[in-house]
Amino acid sequence: MMTHANLTRAWALLVGLSLVAAACSMGLPIRIAAPAILLLALLKARIILRDYLDLASAPSWARGFALTLSLFCATILGLYLAG
Amino acid sequence: MSQADSTHPPGALPGELMMWVLIISELLVFGAGLLAFMGVRLTDPVGFAEAQSHLHRTGAALNTGVLVTSGYLAARAYLWRGVGARPKARLALAGAAALGVVFLIIKGAEYADKAAQGIAWDTHPFFTFYYLLTGFHAAHVVAGVVLLLLVAWKDAPRNIEAGAQFWHMVDLVWVLLFPVIYLLG
Repeated sequence: MMTHANLTRAWALLVGLSLVAAACSMGLPIRIAAPAILLLALLKARIILRDYLDLASAPSWARGFALTLSLFCATILGLYLAG
Repeated sequence: MSQADSTHPPGALPGELMMWVLIISELLVFGAGLLAFMGVRLTDPVGFAEAQSHLHRTGAALNTGVLVTSGYLAARAYLWRGVGARPKARLALAGAAALGVVFLIIKGAEYADKAAQGIAWDTHPFFTFYYLLTGFHAAHVVAGVVLLLLVAWKDAPRNIEAGAQFWHMVDLVWVLLFPVIYLLG
């Protein structure tokens, strides 16, 4: 269920994960940081779906989105590392 | 979508079904665009990395914070409207829309910087994708700002819910687009 407290926690997590991603992209060689950056993007997408779009109340749909987005990020990573 | 709305059966998609059709459609369109971008990158990874070095990563990272904060305000607006706090809800929606405008100003500065460097959509395939994907996303931000202001005016809970869903979709697309276009050089 969406509550003000859950939303505030989600927002803080999103900001925190964005800062970590920025630190990874600046502090590490990009080919090493790439998996972490994509994992952080995936986590942020899941938080937006779960808390902002309230898919926490529809767990089967949340799992479907999570699986599809995970496959997408894995494909992006594969294409990146192949280049 | 929230504690303010108990009409959804357990496990069903929250909010308007047509908004979910739109969200999934947009994710597929942007997802295909990003996969095509990465596919074309395979033909010239060095050129793509060089082109990407002209982007302003700090501004784009700042825009991530702007959008997730804007989405937060839109989500809270729906909760406030659900308990009858209409002025708070309207203020939050206006704040969300204002942050959308901030996003567009930062994006505009980024485009102006590229133009000043003589970079156009046909300078390199990287920039073709860059302008196509970020421009299409910016067009959604413009639509979202208009929609947020509209639902702040016509503030029935279902309207605010639909407007917030659209705005979260814009947010969702950005968190996937940003690392691929701006960071994976």
